[in-house]
Amino acid sequence: MTTVLSIQNIHKIFGDLEVLKGIDVNVEKSETIVILGASGSGKSTLLRCINFMEVPTSGRIVLSGKTIGKETAGKVIYNEAELNALRTRVGMVFQHFNLFPHMTVRENVMEGPRTVLKCDKDECGRRASKYLDKVGLGWKSEAYPSQLSGGQQQRVAIARALAMEPDIMLFDEATSALDPELVGEVLETIKELADEGMTMLIVTHELGFAYTVADRVLFLSEGRILEQGTPAEVLVYPKQDGTKNFLKGHGSFRLPEPKLD
Amino acid sequence: MDYLWDFQSILNNKQLLLIGLQNTLILAVVCLVLGLAFGAIVGIARYSRNPILYWPSTAFVEVFRNTPVLVQIMWFFFAFPIISPFEINAFTAAALGLTLNTIAFSAEIYRAGIQSIHKGQWEAGKALGMSYTQQMSRVILPQSIRRMIPAFMNRAIELMKMTSLASVIAYGELMYQAKVVSTIEFNPIEMYTTVALIFFAIIFPFTLLVQRYEDKQREKG
Amino acid sequence: MGYDWDFWVVFREFGLLMHGLINTLKVTGLSLTFGVPLGLCLALLRLYGNWPIRVPVGIIIEFFRATPPIAQLFWFFFALPILIGVEIDPFKASVLTFSLQSSAFFAEVFRGGIVSIDKGQWEAAKAIGMNRNKSLKRIILPQAVKRMIPAFLERAIELMKTTTLVGTISYADLLYEANTIAQSTYRSLEVFTVAAGIYFVIIFVCSIGVRQLERRMARTGETTAH
Repeated sequence: MTTVLSIQNIHKIFGDLEVLKGIDVNVEKSETIVILGASGSGKSTLLRCINFMEVPTSGRIVLSGKTIGKETAGKVIYNEAELNALRTRVGMVFQHFNLFPHMTVRENVMEGPRTVLKCDKDECGRRASKYLDKVGLGWKSEAYPSQLSGGQQQRVAIARALAMEPDIMLFDEATSALDPELVGEVLETIKELADEGMTMLIVTHELGFAYTVADRVLFLSEGRILEQGTPAEVLVYPKQDGTKNFLKGHGSFRLPEPKLD
Repeated sequence: MDYLWDFQSILNNKQLLLIGLQNTLILAVVCLVLGLAFGAIVGIARYSRNPILYWPSTAFVEVFRNTPVLVQIMWFFFAFPIISPFEINAFTAAALGLTLNTIAFSAEIYRAGIQSIHKGQWEAGKALGMSYTQQMSRVILPQSIRRMIPAFMNRAIELMKMTSLASVIAYGELMYQAKVVSTIEFNPIEMYTTVALIFFAIIFPFTLLVQRYEDKQREKG
Repeated sequence: MGYDWDFWVVFREFGLLMHGLINTLKVTGLSLTFGVPLGLCLALLRLYGNWPIRVPVGIIIEFFRATPPIAQLFWFFFALPILIGVEIDPFKASVLTFSLQSSAFFAEVFRGGIVSIDKGQWEAAKAIGMNRNKSLKRIILPQAVKRMIPAFLERAIELMKTTTLVGTISYADLLYEANTIAQSTYRSLEVFTVAAGIYFVIIFVCSIGVRQLERRMARTGETTAH
């Protein structure tokens, strides 16, 4: 197995609030990791530290064997160009989609390859078609985001991230802003990516989805990993009280019955 | 760029400038008070469904909002006296132009403010048996005035700047006095710089106040 | 009130009024041409410059916004030539003043537009590896400019009204020509009324256009409550 991403002792402090208190995770190729936790547990912040939407206060991020940032005299210096280069290899999907409203669906997907990766026209077109087809929205290419449903917008946002052909995908509560009847189509798309072997880190509140899609589940509490393991280990047979309480609070998630055999 | 600045000639004419400043403030205050007061009446008329109130008030507002204020002042100074039943001097002409202009602009502020109040508030007043006037004065205006305050302050700032136009018809406000002094003393650089600074010193604090008020409103949501 | 109206003298001199109108439009148009791009530069410097740039730019913008345009015009026409030892004619002084003055207002329009764009747009651009300049150029500005079009047009109309000041330094705009005709014909009531009418027609038509545009944009949800 090859490690795609290594998160090493990440701390993040906002003002005098320590949101992350030392997180270590190694993400293997094709692994799907779901991060759970109550609101305020730091799960979104952890995701945002990976592609430096937030700069970690301390700790290191290693992507595909390359450590990000230069350490000089005990301080890590991040150079903006290096971070932008990193971000081209890490796809991110946001809670509120954040599609570019002044561009068509197709232009949204081509924007990254064209202006950041400087791909030629044919390549941009090829990628746009390929990834819009993958999320099932090739037929909406010429529409504007405002003409799409929330679920469709989020699938376009996924295609936009995929078009960069990243090493890893981050999903930051990708279905939290959606009406309940639109959640399914987005989860289905993410599930397909998992089946195809995309490496993914997913922050979500959908426990049923976490159970079916995850190779590994991390449970975050107060800025630390309280518990981790397979979906069954964390969601069905949790060891820690914090995890148990959290699961109790999510009554709508019906735990699969413990198998007798 | 080896010009030697000399502000002594300004200090020598301090008295003239102070008179000008005083006249500026008188003009501004008179027009602001009258403008806001009558603006409320015109604004309510603009909101009315009665055509006898709506159309004349709308025509008035559009004419004064869509012509340059200097044209209005010059019209009242050069043209209006011909048909005016009373004497027009520079102050009356400037005050007329600026007041009517302020009425027109503040009427729109009142109207927009009234419109921004939820219909349910009118209905609640009506359900209590209030008359239209009571609903307006007891329920609607008290709520909307707070939202209008920044817009009114902006109007006051605009008005303060516009008073300088009265210099064109030789009303002895600050700008005019400056012009007079600078032709006598041949010190346009120091003179106009000073005048600009005086206006800035008066107006800028208000700009900051508006900003702070708007920021606070935004925080409240 | 038995005044004998006589508009004939005004129509005899109509050519002069039109000449003035063209000069009005010339000053307005040129000031816009310089003022808008300059306003964008000022807005960007004020938003993203280091403090030794941001602070002076802020002061310049606030200064032009908080002083009467006539004081600015007089300064550029009467004071600046002495200071730099170069003669500036009324036309150049007018264009210079109104370019700078309007750029201060346009800067605030641009700034308002840029900050009104949702933070998520910056993040989405960043997430696909765009740097700040690219995000601004490709993602933020196109949206901000579209949103700000009504505010721009309103400012342009304000600018046209403000250009009536150029008559005070003897540049022959519409109002200046009206004054000239009034003095030579003693028909100031008719002349100033016609001049006001010309301004009204032009400005009113523009305002109605802006209002329609605003209404249409509000319907499609493209404008902010600015």
